[in-house]
Amino acid sequence: MYNFLFFFILEIFGWIFLALSFSVIVIYLILMVLSALEMRDYLRKNRFADYGDIITSPIAPGVSILAPAYNEGANIVQNAQSLLSLHYGKFEVILINDGSKDDTLEKLIQFFELEKTNYNYIPEIETKLVRGIYRSRNMSYRRLTVIDKENGGKADALNTGINVANLEILACIDVDCILSSESISRMVRPFMEETNRKVIAVGGVIGIANNCDVQDGTVTTYRVPESELGRFQVIEYFRAFLMGRMAWSRVNGLMLISGAFGFFRKDLVRAVGGYFPKTVGEDMELIVRMRRYMEEQKIPYRVGFVPDPLCWTEVPESDEILSRQRNRWIRGTIETLQLHQALKLNPKYGLMGMISYPFWSVFEKSAPILETLGVLYTLILLMIGDFSAVYFFSLLVMMYLLSLLVSSFSVLYEQISFNNYKDKKDLRRLIWMIITEPFMIHPKIVLWGLQGHYDFIKGKGGWGSMIRTGFKKAEDKKNLSPQTSTP
Amino acid sequence: MRRSLLQSFFVSFFLLQFSIVNAQEDLIPADSASFHSFLFLQEEIPNLSFRYFLPDTEDTASFSKQLGWSQTDSGLVSLPITDLAIAKVVEQNFIEMRVGYEVQYLVFSEVLSFGATREYVANLVNSSEFLVRTEEVTPSEDIVSLASYAHYTPLEKFKLRFISDFKLLIVTIIIVFFFVVALSMIAFMLVMKARKNRKEHLLKEYDRLIVDPLTSLLFEKELQEIFDLDQVSLNDYFPASMISKPIFREVLIERIIGLNKKMKGDFKEKLKALYRKLALDKQSIKSLTSRKWAQVAMGLVQINEMDLVEALPKVKAHTNSSNFHIRSLAVATVLNLSEKVDLAFLRDQTYPLSLWQQMNYLRIIRFVSHQKKLNLETLFQSSNPSIRIFGYRLVKTLGRVDLIEILSTLAENVSIVEKIEILEIYGALGAHMEVGFVNQCLSSENPTLILAAAKTAAVIGNTESIELLIELILLETNPRNKQVLMKSLHDLDSQRFEQLFVLDEDLEMTQIKNHILDPLLQHV
Repeated sequence: MYNFLFFFILEIFGWIFLALSFSVIVIYLILMVLSALEMRDYLRKNRFADYGDIITSPIAPGVSILAPAYNEGANIVQNAQSLLSLHYGKFEVILINDGSKDDTLEKLIQFFELEKTNYNYIPEIETKLVRGIYRSRNMSYRRLTVIDKENGGKADALNTGINVANLEILACIDVDCILSSESISRMVRPFMEETNRKVIAVGGVIGIANNCDVQDGTVTTYRVPESELGRFQVIEYFRAFLMGRMAWSRVNGLMLISGAFGFFRKDLVRAVGGYFPKTVGEDMELIVRMRRYMEEQKIPYRVGFVPDPLCWTEVPESDEILSRQRNRWIRGTIETLQLHQALKLNPKYGLMGMISYPFWSVFEKSAPILETLGVLYTLILLMIGDFSAVYFFSLLVMMYLLSLLVSSFSVLYEQISFNNYKDKKDLRRLIWMIITEPFMIHPKIVLWGLQGHYDFIKGKGGWGSMIRTGFKKAEDKKNLSPQTSTP
Repeated sequence: MRRSLLQSFFVSFFLLQFSIVNAQEDLIPADSASFHSFLFLQEEIPNLSFRYFLPDTEDTASFSKQLGWSQTDSGLVSLPITDLAIAKVVEQNFIEMRVGYEVQYLVFSEVLSFGATREYVANLVNSSEFLVRTEEVTPSEDIVSLASYAHYTPLEKFKLRFISDFKLLIVTIIIVFFFVVALSMIAFMLVMKARKNRKEHLLKEYDRLIVDPLTSLLFEKELQEIFDLDQVSLNDYFPASMISKPIFREVLIERIIGLNKKMKGDFKEKLKALYRKLALDKQSIKSLTSRKWAQVAMGLVQINEMDLVEALPKVKAHTNSSNFHIRSLAVATVLNLSEKVDLAFLRDQTYPLSLWQQMNYLRIIRFVSHQKKLNLETLFQSSNPSIRIFGYRLVKTLGRVDLIEILSTLAENVSIVEKIEILEIYGALGAHMEVGFVNQCLSSENPTLILAAAKTAAVIGNTESIELLIELILLETNPRNKQVLMKSLHDLDSQRFEQLFVLDEDLEMTQIKNHILDPLLQHV
């Protein structure tokens, strides 16, 4: 009797893993084709785009750049100067000092000759206490506004910036990111090209700046990082941005725009209540909520994506910091999917409910668990002697080849489209990384993902039980805010 | 719910199995005679055999040879009989011959009592190692003849393991599918990359070949000389064999257009003349009929840059194309090249005009507005709202005060979005005569329109506007809107603003007032 049950469960798991393997292959092959088509179209369209006009045109929308800063005293002045020197006509830079314990604010005040203003702060989105809003009398810094507030995390800082922003488009960035001088004009283009469908947000590619030469706010010479973890992330970012997001963008299924470099329509962000400060995945959560809002209001919309290399950041190269980042990412994903359970396989939400959400649930959120279960399943088969070497090695080799194929294609896309890594030695190092990554780095990523799940179950992140039940509607976050935020 | 259903399924399954086992045990008789008959019925039970003992008599002497009886002190003992059907026959013989006998039950060759034997059989039944037979099976017909009627079906349907194992089959299909798709994609990408490399190499090579002759033509020849060049002389600069190559022509076109963008005056004319002399204009016009949108768009760019006016009718046909890029470039080309721009083609566009298109058209219209007469008012009659809005924006950007009168007649009957645009024009051009419309909008029910009107009133408002603004400020509950209204009032009449809020103890009002009066926040 129990033997029967055991073997029955094993049989079911066998079929599940087979189905999963098949769907992984099919989905990734589809993503590869879609991203190739989207990249081809983008490059073609770009040939006919003249970005020179945007800078001076009275029709181009204004952009408020929001950059939260926490203990950034060492580089804050250079970072602010770099932002102020961007090539665009109508833009403002709003730096939000999120209760830094170092001299971030003092350095800004001193260098930019800032003075505290009588700014009438309207907390349309609830935030932590704003201690002061600073501006400079020096006309060279007329675009700069500095907000000093109590510490409340990145989402809370961005919400403060959203309350203060004056222009139509919000550019939410990490203050330590390096932005190309053309970044605003390139990112604004999808908003300006909208005709029948409202463009609610536009995401950009994040490049890896480790070991690269930077001049005048732009990476001039690309080199792959020295560490294996750094090189792994170069491949991973290619896969994520040039393949994954390009493909999802083609079918308007993007559910995530990187928090380090994303552009949003201000009126819509305010309408849905801004970022949700109680989640660690605030960037993904905001996009999902905005999309949900548009679906519920039945307004045709699109989330755009610009594959040009416009923003660079330094990635962590140590196990400790990278594990924390991955732990946070997986928790953010779980939290967002949990909050928006109403989308799950709900045809009312179109492609997002029927395809994007299930994809994220199975292939992003549950991937570490499924992979671990796969290993356990194989061990059990080995122990009971029901192990088929033919199945096992066929599937293993196939999945390894798929990994090689996907990674190689993402590098090839980069080479065909932008060709930034010109040194042959760098390419050889990247190819070696592609070959070894599934054995050397991937197990660590799975482990960190599992830890993320464990931490989520333990309640790390400080969620209230009420929030776990999810939002009934996209704008429900506004109703939750007064109950969840600390006074 | 689902979990409890599953649990009850397993519990019932377990109970069912248990009751089946008990029922089997009940079939074993408790008394020795019935048990003995029960054993005969089973025909064979694992490790159970019968042995017969015959006491020494005259009648038993004949048995010694038949069954290999062995002699003991008190009588004959048979060999163990495992086939109980034979044992039954033997016993029937004993009965017929009226021979006294004794049965011994052997389990694993050990003689056991009736009770122990019964327990052994019961254990076999309980552990499902033996299934009890309840009635004698007697074949009613000849098995061989019955078998001849039945079709042959093999016990294992598919002897080939590869096909019979579904999982293996599916894995194989997945692998084949993966390899086919992956290899096709790799091949495609490698071909693409190789083509790209080859093209890049050719582009560089041709560019090197083009620079020198192009420079000498531009700097050594006068415009008229270029016009007068015959084919033979041209071939000295650009050999016919090279001109016939598509990539060479592509590089040549790009070079000429690139130079045309950078140069001025006579050089521009020389480049245009050369373009026609080399018959590149024909290629540009021909590309308008291409089925590839990028090709058509490239042709439009070339026609626009090289002023190929003769292609205008064909270009106009593309102004309402379903392709965004073709449409945009066609309109830009028509605006640029038409001698007289009545903008009717733009008025009749059915597709919504994006900000990107508006920005490009505005740049061209700004440029050509000094040379050509533009009937901007035509755009106000468009049935496409985005075209009408673009028309209003043009009035504002080009400073066409002369069109305010026309706008004034339209303003009251247009949509809210258009009213807002018209208000912006009034504000930007200082149309004081339209203050009535502004005040009318201030009295509207629509908050967005009120805010737009307040901003315009800040520039062209009158005393009535002041009163309306004060009224709105006192009624407004949204702090952001209130700030806009107060700022308008301040810009319109700062004295009245000061008087009104000098003694105001409302914290919100005071904060807004301080914000408006702060010189650091003048543009915030």
